[in-house]
Amino acid sequence: MAPRKRRPTGVPADPGLLLGLFTTVARARALEDALAVHIRDHGFAGFWHPGKGQEGAVAGACAALRTDDYLFYQGRGATWPLAKGMGLQPIIGDLLGRVTGSTGGKGAGVPHWADPALGIMGEGATLGSVYPIAAGAALSAKMRGTDQVALADFGDGTSHRGTFHETLIQAASWKLPLVYFCENNGLAVSTRFEDVSPTPNVADRAGAYGIPGVVVDGQDAVEVHRVTAEAVERARAGEGPTLIEAKVTRVGGHWEGDAQQYRPDDFLKDYRDPLEILRAYLGDAHAETADKIVADAAAEVAEELLRAEAADLPDPEIITKDVFV
Amino acid sequence: MTTATDPRPATGPATDPHPATGPVADETRVTTYQAAQGEALVEEMRRDASVFCMGQDLRMGGFFGGTRGMVEEFGHERVLDTSITEAFMVGCAAGAAMTGMRPVVQMGFADFSLIAGDEIFQKLGKWRHMHGGQFELPAVIVMPIGPSGGAGPEHSGSMEMLGMHFPGLKVVVPSDPWDAKALLKAAVRDPNPVLYYPSKQLDWIRGPVSTDPDEIIPLGQAAVRRRGTTATVITYGCMTRRALEAAEALAGEGVDLEVVDLRTLVPLDLDTVTASVLRTHRALIVHEAPRTAGPGAEIAAAVQERCFWHLDAPIMRLGAVDAPVPASRHLEQHCFPSVADITEAARRLARI
Ligand SMILES: Cc1ncc(C[n+]2csc(CCOP(=O)(O)OP(=O)(O)O)c2C)c(N)n1
Repeated sequence: MAPRKRRPTGVPADPGLLLGLFTTVARARALEDALAVHIRDHGFAGFWHPGKGQEGAVAGACAALRTDDYLFYQGRGATWPLAKGMGLQPIIGDLLGRVTGSTGGKGAGVPHWADPALGIMGEGATLGSVYPIAAGAALSAKMRGTDQVALADFGDGTSHRGTFHETLIQAASWKLPLVYFCENNGLAVSTRFEDVSPTPNVADRAGAYGIPGVVVDGQDAVEVHRVTAEAVERARAGEGPTLIEAKVTRVGGHWEGDAQQYRPDDFLKDYRDPLEILRAYLGDAHAETADKIVADAAAEVAEELLRAEAADLPDPEIITKDVFV
Repeated sequence: MTTATDPRPATGPATDPHPATGPVADETRVTTYQAAQGEALVEEMRRDASVFCMGQDLRMGGFFGGTRGMVEEFGHERVLDTSITEAFMVGCAAGAAMTGMRPVVQMGFADFSLIAGDEIFQKLGKWRHMHGGQFELPAVIVMPIGPSGGAGPEHSGSMEMLGMHFPGLKVVVPSDPWDAKALLKAAVRDPNPVLYYPSKQLDWIRGPVSTDPDEIIPLGQAAVRRRGTTATVITYGCMTRRALEAAEALAGEGVDLEVVDLRTLVPLDLDTVTASVLRTHRALIVHEAPRTAGPGAEIAAAVQERCFWHLDAPIMRLGAVDAPVPASRHLEQHCFPSVADITEAARRLARI
């Protein structure tokens, strides 16, 4: 799908949903921006993979999930846990490796935020490992007779892992309540998707598994929400998995500090900011509200960042805790 | 540990601890090692609706039997036949376990566990820890080890030391039907991921099993299978039987072996091991896994740390030869410590 300038054609029915999406993206953006400054000034103990530009896709998808639905994210940016309901302090706390993090600072570095009560089930940093795990959560929901759905998030590079195939074969034939959600930013570190994929879209592979494959403009949170909600509904109804591919833009490098020589200078010329697209959806009537949401988000992030900086580093004793129950 | 109803002598004069026939106590009956595992699974699935099993060809009976007839009782929903998708099977078990189920994955051969290496060693083993202890992963992965009667080098691996090496996983290797059943039940009930490695060489061994559905052997308790004074043989799995046979063979020569069956490698019951070595002052470790960097290396190091000043001889090790196990059935048997090998090693150890 060629990138194109896009103006929303019609305001969707639910202003509550729009404001919610706008708020999530604004907070995620504030966090991205503040963190970039923090890392520039103080460094980062680990690898931060900035998610700037991709917040809309994540916010849109996540808004289609219930709190008790299972989320397995891949770990670019921090929008997934934020959109699923985690507070800023547990997120930032882990980013800075502090005791206030959701894992008590243990899962910092490549952040492993988790909160089972919010359905935030964690990350596998060996990419592609969340497919079967999400399918297992979906299987478990089915066996326990709940109508929960599991979402596995991944990137275009990760769509080439063998586990992608192994899991879809099984999950599709078992009709598991599973949503595959690909954030295709066209790059895996520096490797361009078109150089390593025989098909122009990840979603083109869905036919091989007998499931729907949907390509959606990932910069448009409202559109992403719409297609994800359909996939979630299908999954809840027992009709099995859907493969969604959101075409997104990775504004930053693979990691914060990546010199990105592999990119052309004008790679952002067609970039469309998900926050601005949402603002356009909201229209003039909500302009003031939108400005306030953005200002509040920046203030809140600044405050939580300070709190996290002041928080304790974990006691080394926790290294040997949580190995066994 | 000896359980109340366990009819096997764990200490005292050496008698056959694995009676193939003959009278057994009312609470027990005789069956095979492999069938004992099937019984454990069936009983646990009856007891707890969250237990289910998954693997290849389970409805047919599984690679090594034990699941035959289970579909009739539990339905296709709880006896899941998967395709050839080892990484999926274990990853799926991890996801099911962290969301309230208790999966038992039947992996036909331990060799295939390497295909699911990320899922076993990094997901089951690390997920709880890396997410700050917020998850329990009560999954059991069954991975038969050892020679398979000519199935070749990629079907004959004994890789239980991988389970020892990667933190976060419990490791079980039962040595007879009683333990196979009671340890598998303990594994299913454990809130942690457990790697359960049956030894294929024992599949058709017959012996008593408990008929009490709540008979379990807590993980982490070694058993002294035979009392002796000359040296301690530290072993587990199929080598336990061979060590006991070697002990019988040596009894007339004034070499009196004590045999400790570890039963679980994680947790490792070093207290029982060292108490024995402190009595006998000599130790021989025997296992089915290749010798180099096998479990014996770790156990020997741990024992010398605890018993150095009490040792009358160096700790010795016997393991499989450091070569892939040939497909030839004739050659296969020469890869593993035999009763004669153990007898000879113990004789040498006794002379030092
Ligand atoms: C199994 C595995 N191989 C390699 C890596 C190293 N790695 C980390 S991120 C990354 C690129 C991922 O690309 P993609 O899936 O497109 O996601 P994106 O980073 O673009 O969000 C790679 C290769 C890894 N973490 N796991």
